[in-house]
Order: sequence, then C-alpha cells, then structure tokens
Amino acid sequence: MGILLFITVLLIAACGLIYELVAATLASYLLGDSVLQFSTIIGCYLFAMGIGSALSRYIHRGLAYRFVWTELMLGLIGGFSSALLFLAFAYTQGFALLMYALVIVIGVLVGLEIPLLMRIIRARYLFRDVVAHVLTFDYLGALGASLLFPILLVPRLGLVRSAIFFGIVNVAVALWSTFLFSSQLQRTRALRIVSCVLLCGLAAGLAQARRITAAAEDNIYADEIIFARDTRYQHIVLTRFKDDLRLFLNSHLQFSSRDEYRYHEALVHPALAAIPAPRRVLVLGGGDGLAVREILKYPQIESITLVDLDPEMTRLFSRYPMLTALNQKSLSSPKVHIINEDAFPWVDATSDSFDFIAVDFPDPTNYSLGKLYTTAFYKAAGRHLSAQGLMVVQSTSPMFARDSFWCIAETLKQAGLRTYPYHVYVPSFGEWGFIIAGLREYQLPTSLPAGLRFVDTGGLAGLFEFPPDMSPLAMPANRLNDQILVRAYEQDWKDISH
Amino acid sequence: MSISRRRFLESASAALIGLSVKSDRRDRPIPGGFVNDAFELGHKLRDQSSFPASKRIVRLPVVIVGGGIAGLSCAWRLHKRGFSDFLLLEMNAQAGGNSRWGENEFTAYPWAAHYVPVPGTKSRYVRELFEELGVLVAGQWQERYLCFSPQERLYLFGRWQEGIEPAIGLSRSDRDQFRRFQDEIQRFRASGEFTVPMEVGFSTRTAELDQQSFSSWLRSKGIDSRIVNWYMNYCCRDDYGATSEDTSAWAGIQYFASREPEEKGPLTWPEGNGWIVRRLLERLGNFVHTGQMVHRIAVDKKAVSVFAGDTKYEARFVVFAAPTFLAPYLVLGMAPLHDFEYSPWLTANLTLERLPDSYGGDPTWDSVSMESPTLGYVDATHQSVRTHPERTVWTFYWALAQGSPSENRQLLLARDWRYWQEGIIRDLERLHPDIRACISRIDLMRMGHAMARPRVGAIFSHERQHLRKAPGPILFANSDLSGFSIFEEAQYRGVIAAERVLDLLG
Repeated sequence: MGILLFITVLLIAACGLIYELVAATLASYLLGDSVLQFSTIIGCYLFAMGIGSALSRYIHRGLAYRFVWTELMLGLIGGFSSALLFLAFAYTQGFALLMYALVIVIGVLVGLEIPLLMRIIRARYLFRDVVAHVLTFDYLGALGASLLFPILLVPRLGLVRSAIFFGIVNVAVALWSTFLFSSQLQRTRALRIVSCVLLCGLAAGLAQARRITAAAEDNIYADEIIFARDTRYQHIVLTRFKDDLRLFLNSHLQFSSRDEYRYHEALVHPALAAIPAPRRVLVLGGGDGLAVREILKYPQIESITLVDLDPEMTRLFSRYPMLTALNQKSLSSPKVHIINEDAFPWVDATSDSFDFIAVDFPDPTNYSLGKLYTTAFYKAAGRHLSAQGLMVVQSTSPMFARDSFWCIAETLKQAGLRTYPYHVYVPSFGEWGFIIAGLREYQLPTSLPAGLRFVDTGGLAGLFEFPPDMSPLAMPANRLNDQILVRAYEQDWKDISH
Repeated sequence: MSISRRRFLESASAALIGLSVKSDRRDRPIPGGFVNDAFELGHKLRDQSSFPASKRIVRLPVVIVGGGIAGLSCAWRLHKRGFSDFLLLEMNAQAGGNSRWGENEFTAYPWAAHYVPVPGTKSRYVRELFEELGVLVAGQWQERYLCFSPQERLYLFGRWQEGIEPAIGLSRSDRDQFRRFQDEIQRFRASGEFTVPMEVGFSTRTAELDQQSFSSWLRSKGIDSRIVNWYMNYCCRDDYGATSEDTSAWAGIQYFASREPEEKGPLTWPEGNGWIVRRLLERLGNFVHTGQMVHRIAVDKKAVSVFAGDTKYEARFVVFAAPTFLAPYLVLGMAPLHDFEYSPWLTANLTLERLPDSYGGDPTWDSVSMESPTLGYVDATHQSVRTHPERTVWTFYWALAQGSPSENRQLLLARDWRYWQEGIIRDLERLHPDIRACISRIDLMRMGHAMARPRVGAIFSHERQHLRKAPGPILFANSDLSGFSIFEEAQYRGVIAAERVLDLLG
C-alpha cells in the first residue's frame, strides 16, 4: 500500500513537470527567445501551483473524490496541451494567451494535487513521515521527468506525443486511485467509466499525433505545398502561404506572387516601351505567362511566340485557376503561340524576326543551362531582331552574383550587341539585374502602359545606375567551349552562403 | 509430409524462376554486330586470289589510291589548284578511312578519329582548309565547332575530376615530376623542332630521341611516379595505340611539345572528323569512286597501270594514299617493308536510351577511367545546343596496346562480336553499374591496322625517309610516312603529294 502511494506521488510529480517543460519548449521553438520563454513559463507555473495549494484549503469534504477529478482534468488538459498549442499557433493569433492560460490552469491543478494527497493519507502515517515521504518522491519524480524529457521524450516521441503520454499516466493514476482510496470514495463506478473514456481518447490522440503535427507543421514551417510534379525536364513545386503563391523549379525560387510584378514589369517595360511600333514578340523561357501578361498591355502587338521547353509548365499556367488568376489568362490569348521546344535549336531553326525578344531562362546553374548564356546563343538570337528590335536578358543578381552579371553583359557585347544593364529590387530575390541588348542605340521610353505598379517613367533612369558595390567588373565572355559563367555563378553564390 | 514437400518444390521452382529472371536481365541480348569489317577484303588482297581480268582501260594523268584524309586532301588540293583530270579509288563502300562516321535516327557519330586540336600557325594547310569550311572565320574559330564545356573528365580514386591529367590525390613528388616534365617539354617546344606537321621542324638533332622508348626516356629524367607514368602511357595509347614502353621517345615528346593552342579546343563535331570528310565529299564527290579495290599496280616506262575491279587505269602518276604497308602487296616488284608497324583498334558505338543514373556530374564530352585498359568514351550529342538531350550515342575507344600487334589482330579476328560487346559493358559497369539497362544497341568496328605505331626508330627509319621522297611515278601520301596517324599529318602528306604531282606534270 505504502510504496504504491509514493509511486503515485512520483508519477504525478513527473506529469506536472513534463507539462511545464512541454509548454516552455514549444514556446521557445515557435516564438524564439528561449530564456524569456522558460523564465516566464516556470514563473507562471510555480505561481499557479501556489494558487492551487492556497485553494486546497477551501476543499473540506470528498478529498479523494476531488483528487481523482483533479487527476482526470490534468490528464485531459495537460495531455492535449501540446497539440492544442501547435494548432493554435498555426491557425489562430492567440497562441501566447492560450499558452499562459493553459500553464496557469495546469499549474493550479498540480498545486492542488499534493496538499489533497497529503490530507488523504495523513491518518495513515505520522505527519512528519507524510511530509518527508511525499516531498521526497515529489522531487524524485521531478528529477526523473527532467532527465527523461530531453534524452528520451523529445527525440523519440516529440512534443505532442510526450504530453499525451503523460496525460495517459495522469488518467491511469486517477483510475488506480479509485482502487487505492476505494474506502474513502463514493460513485467509484462513474469515476472508473470516465477514466476509461479519457484513456481511450488520449490513446486515440497518441495514434493521431502525427497527423496533428503534420497539419500544424505544414502551416508553420513550410508554406503549404499545393502542387508538386516531376516532369521530364524539372521538378515543379507550387507553394502557398496566405496570399503568397510561390513557384520553385528544381527548388530554385522563380517568383513570389507578392512581388513578381516588380520582376516582370522590370523585365518587359523598359525595353518594350522604347520600341516605336512593336508587332511581333518572342519570349524564351517564361512558361509562367507572367512576362506575356505584361507584353499584352501593348495593344499594337499582334503576335507573341512563347518558347518554353516544358509542356507541363505551360499547361499548368494555362489551366490552373489560381495561376491563371495571376497571369490574367495570358497564355490563352489568341495572340500567344506556345511552342514547347528547346530554345537554342528552335532559335537556330526559325527564320522569323521579332521586334522584342525577352530572354527569361533559369540561372546558369549547370553547363546545359549555361549554353543559353553564350556568345553563340546571343548571336543566334540577335539575328532575329528586326531593325527597331531590342532584346532583354534576365541576368541574375548584380549584387549577389556580380561576376556573373557582368560576364553576361560582356558576352552580349562580344556577340556584337550594344548593352544597357539595369537593376531593380525584388524583395523575394533581392537586387536583380537585366540587360537590354540590341543592334541599335537604346533610349529611355517616354511613356508606359497605364496601370503599372512598379515601373514609371520618372524612376526609369535611376535603374540604369549602379552603385559601387554592383558596379561593372571586367569579365571575359562566356563561350560554348569555355563556360566561365557556370563557374563564376557557382563561386558567387558560394561566397554569399559561406 | 506431402505438404512440406510441395512447399519445398514450390520454393525451389520460385528460386529457379528467380534465377532465370535474373539471368534474363543480365543476358538480355543487346543487338549489334561488326560494321565496316575490312578483314576479309584485306586478306583477299594479301593472298592475291582471283581478281577479274580487266575489260576496259581508262587513261588519265593522276590516280589517287585510298580515300582517307590523305587521299581526299590530295584531291582537295588538286581541285583547288584547278586540276581536275584525276580519280580517287577507295576500297570501302564509304570514303573517309579513319574519319568514317555512322548515323542513327537522332545523331551522327564517329567510327574513329573524332577531333582535331585547334591548329597552330605552322599547320598552314589545315588552317587553309578550315577557312574554306567556315571553321576559321576572320581569325576567329567558330564557337560551335569548338568542343563545348565541360570537355574532359577522369575517374580516379572513386570520383570524377575535370580534365584528363590527374590533378587530385597527387603527392608532392607527383606534382614535382609533372612540373619537371612540363619544363622539359617547354624546352623542346621552344626549340621549334617539334611541330605539326612534323616535317616543318624535323631535325636530325632530335634523332637520338628516336633511339629509345618514351618510358625509358621518362625514367632517365627521374620521372618514376606511378600516376605521372599512367598519364604518359594514356597519351601514347590514345594518340598512337601503343604503350609508352612501345613508343619512341621522339613521338612521346612530339605529343606534348608540338602544340600551342591559341583557343580552348579541340575542334569536334557529332560525327567526329567525318564532318570534314562530308564537307570534302560535297566538293569532290564526283572524283571519288568507292567500292573500288585496287589489286595491282604495275610501273612501266610509259605509265603506271592501276588495276581495280575489271578496269585498268593508265596514269602518269599515282598517289598512294592508302596505308603504306599495303603497297608491297600491290606494286609489282616492290621490296617488302620492315619499319611499318600498326596498332590494332576496336571502336564501338553504343546507343543509349538515357544516361545512367550513376553518370555523375554535368554531361561531358570525353570520359576516361584511370582503372580501365581502354581509352574511355566520347558523347556524340555533346556538340548539340540542346539543354536536355535524352538519347545519345557513346563512342567507345579501345586500342589493343598491350602485347604484340599481330597477336592482338588474331584475337580481334578470333572472337565474335558478343565477346567484345560484353567486355565493353563490363568495363563501363565499373564506372556506371546501371549502364547495361540504358543501352539499346552496340555496334563494333575492328581495325587490324588502325594507326601507324611510332615504335623506337620508326620516325628516323631510312625506309620511311626514302618513301617520303619517292621521286615518282608513285608518290606516297599516307600519314604513316610521318610515323603516326593523325589528321594533320594525313592532310599535309596529301596536300604536298598534290603539289609535287602538279610540279611533275609541269
């Protein structure tokens, strides 16, 4: 009898400490600043325990009955505390409020436990033995819990399942107390039934914990993945977080719907608005239809040829409602002709000429993509420019990949084109660079289509100015037989990330 | 009891099925065979067996025998100089010799020679040809004909490195020896005695180098590093089909000291040097008669008679551009040759439905393994401007350099094509364990006398020097007169033979 009693003390002490640690750990994970979180939570918790102890004096009768209820409530609230907090963080704004409320409720209940228990058993032992034994096992339980928590529970079970597991322990203590204190209890049957129901509920929670965390983590750590597909050419992933839609190709960010207008307005308008009477346009890459959306703002344009290797990309951006809302159904325009071919051989084979060519390829991360940034490619593309024609090339970041940016500029130059580099700030990319290239001189446009959110005539000239940290570097050209750009690009980004 | 026996039988048959499925996978027959096989033709020639009597006589001033690079270059030069009274007779159905090529539904591919190093200023005639073909335009080498990045890679110590000269895992002594070797080579380069073509700088001052093997010369210079010697041996096998043990030091030094590229090369095309042959045939096709095996050449006071099929050609001059070792079998009264040795080669073209998952890194033009006795493989679609080539053809090179050439020729003849196919797959499986499943076809070409072998004494051999200057009416033009078979030597010999013929004709 005696040892069982004291094991009960040990277990409830462990449970109490675990709930406290779970709350503090979660708060540091999710809110950061672990010193603040641990201090305030331990403080609140101890304070609430004091309140519980103080309240215990108002309980006069049915001590055992109330003790069992305390354990049941602790099992339920404490057991689900972690899951509740995760979901609250993911789906509500009131995480901190709920957290402190839970800590205080749990603290009060834990504060009640020991005084009640001591009073229940005081008739059986000398007072000094009661105090000594109960507190000894209380502290022993705390030690056990504080060791178990970081070594076994967090790595093996995780926060949600650890809390539920100890909720089960609390309810088990309640159930066993109905036997332990049966002489002092009425309505034991009802208590046992409630205990069993709670045990089942917690066990179900334990089994479903993965889904709870998955649901919460999807919303917390990564934006929700709404589309993922491996095509013949690349891995396409679309994510959404609230109103922000992001496209990743081979895990490189292509755009964020929050600021893509900056990128695409800057890609298209400085050059296109400077062409007197543009009729025929070529877009290389850009299967998302966002550059096309900007190009369609010029009613005089008669045809837009879009060459993108991946039919899955253009199909996705022609059909998926969330995406067609973004590109304003640009790919369904009767002016747009989609060609799913490799751009370089297509450019070699075509005999058409264009007034505007937008070159919007992925960054030169490998030697295959690097071919699309060579003198040979720019010479081939330049041959398709009409007399008034201009070309614009997305040219990576002049800030993070300064060597690469100026290498692309030199490559265009050595392909026999005049170059006009400029840069803009796109929050999700940082400073980003483009180069206008043509066989003729380029002059800033004096008017732009209505309704642009970023590019305006007043600010245009400023885009062509490079501050010292992005200013031109002497770089050799990138050639098919000596692709220095791929190496420069790799080095540039390595320098940034180390 | 009966149940357990049935179980046993079931599991045994399952094991048998498992085995047969497994062996099916391993032995899935890959289609292929020998192509362009000339062994039979060659042997017919040697045996001088029944050739038809000639029924008609064609008289013309010049006949070129052999339609490889030497013969075609001779024709190119004659034609360019405004002379068109000549014919070229080629034994095989396809002209091109070592520059022949093949083609499937998605790419052309080489059967042997697959590149030309960017020629320096001393390679006058090669530059002239390349200017005509639009490879060299206004002093600029056409970017699309220069080998794309990344060019070469080497597999060693379980990983790939860029470039074929070993650069990883070197000890301090290895590095020192590489540096010392480069210093030695720099001296030879500065002397101007090692040039392409070799005749431009040829000097008796270097004769001593021809009297020792490249490996013993390396030893005498204190170059004993295993890894440095692997590289030297690889270069000899690659350019001469011979080990450094069997290569004259003069030729070994020539490989390194003769080139000063002015641009990152080499020049290459999907069909290798077959691209050049194609361009030449576009211009000279009318002069080239393929499937015409010359079986006898007779010299008398008035003319040289060349017998091919049932035709007798009576010419004033014959340019013998076929491999020189054939001449004594054809030319009546010609003394046997002793200084002409050739390396046997096997090449294969592998059609790949996809690159193996174990490919490793960006698609590269030329891949070599340090652990392999072969020379590695070259990707025929590397010069494509596509960003996502899918199916491709790998040309696999295997110079049978180890052992005696005649024994290796017998081996080439004795084994069927499946033997070589399996050998090639096993060699590749060490680099790419999953390669077998990617291959849909392997064709092979075996060449008993693929390349002249510059063994010790070959370069300064009197026999060779004599034939280089043969006064006519038979002039010799094959690259083997230089002692080794490379494009520039063949082209040079063909061009100067044309010049000499024109001089002799007046």
